[in-house]
Amino acid sequence: MFLQLTLGGLSQGAIYALVALSLTVVYRSTTVVNFGHGDFVMAGAFISYVLVVIAGVAFLPAAVLAVLAMFVLGVLFSRGLIRRVRGGPHIGLALMCIAAGYVLRGIARMVWGREVLPMPRVFDIEPIFIGNLVITGDAVFIIGTVLVLLLTLFGLLAFTDLGKMVQAVYQSPRGARLIGLNVELFDDFSWGVGAALGAIGGILIAPVSLLHPDLGASFLIKGFAAMTLGGFGAPFGAVLGGLILGVAEQYAGAYIDTSLIEITAYLVIVLVLFLRPQGLFGRKAVVKV
Amino acid sequence: MQVSSLPRLRRRLFWAVPVLLLALPLLTNEYTQFVANGMLIAALVTLGFSLVIGNLGQLAFANTAFFGLGAYASAILSATLGLPWIVTIPLSGLVGALGGFVASSAALRGIRAYYLAIITLAFGELMRWVYVHARPVTGGTNGLALPKETLFGFSLSDDKVKFYVFLLVAVLLIKATSNLLRSRLGRAIMAVRENEVATASLGIPTARIILMTFAWSGFVTGCAGALFARHVGHVFPESFGMIQLISSFAMVLVGGLGSILGAVLGAVLLTALPEYLRAFPGLEELFFGLIVGAVLLVLPMGLASLLRRASPLFSERYYRE
Repeated sequence: MFLQLTLGGLSQGAIYALVALSLTVVYRSTTVVNFGHGDFVMAGAFISYVLVVIAGVAFLPAAVLAVLAMFVLGVLFSRGLIRRVRGGPHIGLALMCIAAGYVLRGIARMVWGREVLPMPRVFDIEPIFIGNLVITGDAVFIIGTVLVLLLTLFGLLAFTDLGKMVQAVYQSPRGARLIGLNVELFDDFSWGVGAALGAIGGILIAPVSLLHPDLGASFLIKGFAAMTLGGFGAPFGAVLGGLILGVAEQYAGAYIDTSLIEITAYLVIVLVLFLRPQGLFGRKAVVKV
Repeated sequence: MQVSSLPRLRRRLFWAVPVLLLALPLLTNEYTQFVANGMLIAALVTLGFSLVIGNLGQLAFANTAFFGLGAYASAILSATLGLPWIVTIPLSGLVGALGGFVASSAALRGIRAYYLAIITLAFGELMRWVYVHARPVTGGTNGLALPKETLFGFSLSDDKVKFYVFLLVAVLLIKATSNLLRSRLGRAIMAVRENEVATASLGIPTARIILMTFAWSGFVTGCAGALFARHVGHVFPESFGMIQLISSFAMVLVGGLGSILGAVLGAVLLTALPEYLRAFPGLEELFFGLIVGAVLLVLPMGLASLLRRASPLFSERYYRE
């Protein structure tokens, strides 16, 4: 029971980790928190659904296409909209993200109405039984994909020049510009990568849950909870926060009350911000005035 | 026009609007009266929201929750405890204000900006969960119905009667907010928006200013919630969800961040529309999303900034341009 819950929590948490990490990628390079990110996740899932179910493309090419489409959308969003409101009141940036999210959600709902869509299963792998523990193919697939993505991303950030440049842009956009980095291009690129990573999260969750236009809203909150728990802007923290949240949800649902699953993320946010605002790995989040 | 007479002229103009509106129920039919009532409520909701995101400059999502708290407080107090509805208006305001305190109390721990936004988002979602799960008190997903009532012999089921009550509440709260913003506290609120460190260096307790702004915003929005409960006669959890949030954002932005005149304008303009949009799923979200995006790109300070440019009569010193 306990192990089964932990495994379920980890595979759910892997998705939260991915969402939190994609939020962190954008936040670290542009200092913008994408309040519409949940709907980017939803859009990725919907594009893959259209390709698989309506256009009849196989799952893997469909997933790749959907991720590429979301990358392009992220870049276009940064170029066309975010850049233009950068000069105004800072609240404008967040509002632009929210507006974009609602537009995506509105489009999804206009096309699909109030229906809930089941996504066909991807792999019919026989579940593995170890004692009482059932390891489903989905869990293996989700955790495996996220793990590969994380290792690639952390490898890129830690060991390559690209990683150093990203760090430079994060620490001082002005300084980065002085040494000849194209900061605007980095911003666009980060938005693209953020949107693409979020889309992967959506595509991974689609086959194991149901698709609906409001899917994004709950992922946004969970991503925020994971980020807050791990420490805002800390990539490793975001991942760990996501995993902890996923497992915590399962425990709370099984040992206390199932209705608690929905609100575990909110409770985590409130508790962390009151008790330890910097999270597990973040820098101090508070102002001292 | 002499400059010295401008404030007096402005005051007269302010009071002329509600006086003229007294005649409105003579011109309306049942449907337009219902929409006009909705506009008054939306004006208060937008005012409360604009106070936080426009005047205080903090991104926050909890106002939908204050609205819901006010509506539920009014419904519970009048349906379960049998209080006259009119008495529940200020009480709902107080419940909303309490919500404002709780949602923003993290400010005392030094939480600002995005963190405050996220915690208010969590607060709003938690409240929605409570509406659904606190079934014995809130009626769960079935919601709560308000009992039929009369006020001084007039039936409160009549939209024209409701209009006069709503108008009175709206005018009082708008005037009070306008006075508040011109007071010492109001200037402190806008100083926090412009530069919190500088404000604190003048000895102003900025965290407390943030809490007080949220509380007043909660009071205004909570009162609006009580009006809303009477307006539709029934309180459901779905009334305080994501659509409510984006439409509030749109109303604030269209009118103009931090402008009282703008809050009223934005609410009036955008209240009539959704009735037509509601027929198609998703259209409302798309519409409000596009409006918010377009205003940000084209007219970041909203319609109020156009009016300000057109005539000094409409000038408000709530936002530096």
